[in-house]
Order: sequence, then structure tokens, then C-alpha cells
Amino acid sequence: MLQCLTLVTHNTASPNLVKLIPLVSIMLLMLSAFIMPLLKKKRHLFGLTGGALAILMVLSFVNVAYIYQNGGYYFDIGHFPAPFGISLRIGEIESLIALLFAIVDLMVTWYAYYSLEKEIKESRIAFFHTMNLLLLASLLGIVFTNDVFNGFVFLEVSTLAACGIIVVKDKKTNIKAGLKYLILSSLGSGLVLMGIAFIYSLSGHLSMDYIHEAMIANLDGKQNTILISVILFTVGLGIKGAMFPLHIWLPDAHASAPSPSSAILSALVIKAPVIFLIKVFYKVYGTQIIHETVILDLVLLFGVMGMIFGSLFARSQKELKRMIAYSSVAQMGYIFFAIGIGNTLGVVMAIYHIVAHALTKSSLFLAAGSFIEQTGFKHIEDFRGIGKEMPVTLGIFTVSGLSMIGIPVLPGFISKWNLAMASIQSDKLYLLIFLLISSLLNASYYFPIIINGYFGEENLDGKVFLSKSKPIKQLLPLIILTVLMVLVGFFSGSLIEFIERGVYTV
Amino acid sequence: MQTLINNYMFVGAVIMFGIGFMILLLHNNLIKKIIGMNIMDTSIFLLFVSLGYIDGKEAPIIVGGVLHHNGYVNPIPTGLMLTGIVVAVSMTAFMLALTIKLYELYGTIELDEIQNIRGG
Repeated sequence: MLQCLTLVTHNTASPNLVKLIPLVSIMLLMLSAFIMPLLKKKRHLFGLTGGALAILMVLSFVNVAYIYQNGGYYFDIGHFPAPFGISLRIGEIESLIALLFAIVDLMVTWYAYYSLEKEIKESRIAFFHTMNLLLLASLLGIVFTNDVFNGFVFLEVSTLAACGIIVVKDKKTNIKAGLKYLILSSLGSGLVLMGIAFIYSLSGHLSMDYIHEAMIANLDGKQNTILISVILFTVGLGIKGAMFPLHIWLPDAHASAPSPSSAILSALVIKAPVIFLIKVFYKVYGTQIIHETVILDLVLLFGVMGMIFGSLFARSQKELKRMIAYSSVAQMGYIFFAIGIGNTLGVVMAIYHIVAHALTKSSLFLAAGSFIEQTGFKHIEDFRGIGKEMPVTLGIFTVSGLSMIGIPVLPGFISKWNLAMASIQSDKLYLLIFLLISSLLNASYYFPIIINGYFGEENLDGKVFLSKSKPIKQLLPLIILTVLMVLVGFFSGSLIEFIERGVYTV
Repeated sequence: MQTLINNYMFVGAVIMFGIGFMILLLHNNLIKKIIGMNIMDTSIFLLFVSLGYIDGKEAPIIVGGVLHHNGYVNPIPTGLMLTGIVVAVSMTAFMLALTIKLYELYGTIELDEIQNIRGG
């Protein structure tokens, strides 16, 4: 850590302004969020959100470019140095995730401009934008922060805001799903706070680096307390990140929310707690302590269960959005699997899969949202022959679905391949079977939709070509997301290299 | 046994946490669930504040001149728990608001009855 600090302080080429970016991006989003209720016209609302997100995207890009050249840095909020004040730590992973969040949220907002008022009341649109920006701000806070208590506060803000974008659609099922999410999530935050209390009693610090130093210094006889606290963190963040047996809130919430909300929830909201969990594992406890406990094996077990059972549940769903929501459970299983393998490649692939899945799942949800919006149907069997009516949208769905299944070049394949490599590296060959089974299961529920959509005489009967297709300007955000996803697959080598430079393992 | 008695604050907090947790998890009545959440949070606040307490020292409030820095209890956990209380209050308020909404829509706040109505 000290090496890193000195490295950063010796950079002279305009470092100070760049280092303000993390704080400025959070402040920008929060300020815009609270201006939102003052605005009335739809154009102004979307203009402000879009503007804020576009600025955020540019800033995040500059940040990534700076970190690519100079490496990560610390930022002390209010110039109080670390043990007393809150510090942010921005490295390769954090900057990349911030850029990802900004891009996905901007594209979802673009999509929402054309379709949001069809799903929710006109008067709720301002509320949606407030919650959306607040949510993004708190997610960035979770990603950037180097202080566990600060992370907890941001987690709570993100929970409330995420619940806000679920209940924005004033239906019975939404209120029920929102309340279910809120109850389970508050259970999770209670556990996380208890975990923080335990490690505070062990170390007397809240800043991640200082906790780590204090823990390494007096490790003897504290193994039980450490184990309890790490389990509290894993279960607490596992609830928020939809780890398999704790995912029960996810399908209801993600399926009933309006499509732009579903995309944000599935792509961003469940990812930030996982990044926080990785930070807790490798920055707070450190590789040495984590490998002495059984926690990584537990995470691996839950990950494998998620991969298999998530897909099995997805297969048996009749509604399209519920199926995609269960597919999210399966994909989160991959991420926990990657963390659970426990070597450097595993953690790198967890981050890579977070990037890949965020882009893929947001475009899947938006494509599904377009089907539902244009046809009025919800069930999978009603979407036979949709490929003739909406060929471009189904094309986007197909590419994303192929990535989920793991067709070469697409990011889903890259993560599965490297996960297989990571399992071989850590001498756990039997894991390859689960990867294979899960891929086959993925194929078994994405292919029927695609094949029934494009082919089959009786499916295409009576469908008029392009009759329900959206204009190209409405499809552009989906196309951009898909292109970005393919690019993430194409340039996976340099992306993985970039993530590897910033990975936390010491 | 002696360790349990020495760490009575820990033991008490964990028991209270367990009570709150089980109420939150197992009860069907939403109001009871919210009460359970508050019990759970309060146990953590107690634990945190007790962590910062040093026997025989004063509260860190300056009255008539500063004592030696050894004269005060640790103020940081107390400060943290102020934030924690604010978070818990806003969470409770939001949950209560949603509960009212749910009651208007379903006519009940028992979750098992709501499951039975399903889709209605």
C-alpha cells in the first residue's frame, strides 16, 4: 500500500484534477438526482439524466486512461488522511467498473426515453430518474470506497433506491416484490453491520488497509472471530448479490419491474455487492487469512449450485422476463464460482464476467422489454415467429443469448474458458463437469426462443415482415450494448491484462 | 463460561440479534417483521457503542477545559451508530410506507394470506 501511495504522490503531470473524478462523479449524480423533482417536462428530465450520465461516462473514461498510464491512487475525502477520514481507492478494477456502470446506465436511460411512459405513470418519471441517479451514485460509492462502514452506508442507499425503481410501477406485484426485496435486503445489511462490528472489535479500524495490517499483526487465537465475521459478510452480501440459496427475492423483483429498471437491477445492482465482497475478502482479510478459512469452498459450492439450479429454474419458467431473471441467478453463480476457485485468475475472471454479464444481461432485458412492449404478450410461447416481425431485436437477443451459452469469441465463452483454466490451475478438475452441464442447460432455454422466433412454418404463418419493428433510433442503445459486448469478447486479452494489473491478491 | 461472562455485551448483542433475525425471517405479519428488523439493528448499535466504552472515562464532550486525551471514551463508534440509526430509521419508514400501500392493495398485511391471493 505504501509503495502505491508514494508512487502516486510523485506523479506531477496534472494528477490532482484526475484524482477528483471519483468524488465529482458521485457528487454530480447526487446533485442531479435532487434537482430532478423540480423539473416537469419529460424532455428536461431525460436531458438532465442523459447529460449527467454522458459527463460521467467521459470522466470515467478519462479516469481509466489515467489509471492505464499511472496506476491506481488513493483519494482522501476532505483531506483527512486514512485512519481518521474516509478514503477512496481507485485502481484498475474500480475505474473499469465505473466506466461500465456509466455506459450501461446511459444506454438504459436512452432506451427508457422511448418506452418508459408506456410502463409507468407520467407523474412517476421524475421519481424514476431521481432513484436511478441516486442508485448509480451509491453503486459507484460501494465500488470506490476503501472504508467498510462507508461501504455499508452506500449499500443501504443502493437498497432503498433499487427498491424505489421496482415500486415505481404502481402494480400489486411490484409492491409485493419490492417489500420482499427490502425485507431480505435489510436482513443482509444487518448481517454486514454485525460483521463490521466484529472486525472493528478485532482491529479498531474501519479503513480496509488498516484493518488488514492490524489483523495480520495479531492473528493468534482470533481464528473463530475471523471466521464468524467473514461468514456474516458473505451471507449478508450474498443476499444482496443473489448468491444461490439467498436469491429468492430476485426473480419477483426483476421480472415485475419495468424493463429499464430490470436491466439496471440485473446489470448493475447485484454486481456492486459482489465487488464489495471481493474487496472484503482480499483487502480486509487478505489472501493468507481467507485461504485458512473454509469460506472460499462455501462460496464455490454456492456458486456451483447457482449455476446448475438457476438454469434449471430458468428452464421451467413460462414468462420471458422471469426466465431471464433466473438466468441472472445462474450467471451470478459463475461469478461466485470464480471467486470460490480462489486463485488470481479466478478473481480476474469474476471481474471480467461482471463486465460481460452487465452488458449482455442489460441488452437481453431491453430486447425482452421491446418484445413485450410491441406485442403485449408476456409468455415465452407467444413469442413464436417474433423473428419475422422484429428481426433486429431478436438478432440482438440472439447474440446476447449466444454469449450466455458460450459460443466462441463472445465474452461468455471467454469467461467459461478461463474459468476452466482456473479450475485446472487449482487442481479441481471435477469443476469442469459443472461448467459443461451449466453451459448445456443455458443452451436448452435460450435456443428454443431463438429457433422458434426465426424458423418453423407454423410459427411464421400470418406474421408480417418488420410489422412490429421499432424505428432504428429506438434500437440504437441495444445495438451499442451488443456491439460493446462483442468488443469485450474480441479484446478480452488486453481487458483481462488490465484487470490483472489491479487485482487485489497480494 | 468465564469468557461468556467477560464478554457479556457480545453475548447479549448476539442473543438480541438472533431474536430480531428470527422475527424478521419467520413471522408472517409485516409489522412484526419491521419490529424484528429494528430489534436486530438495535442489538448492533448496542454492541458498537459498548465497543467504544472505556470504564471510568467521560463522554467526549468538552465541559470547562479539555482533559488529557486518556480521559474520554472512544467517540468513533458512537458517531458511526448515529449514522446507523439514521439508516435504520429511513429503512423503517420506507418499509412502513410500502406496508401501507400493500394493505391498500391486498387488504391484509399477513404475507401467507397475500401468497394465497396471488395474482388476484
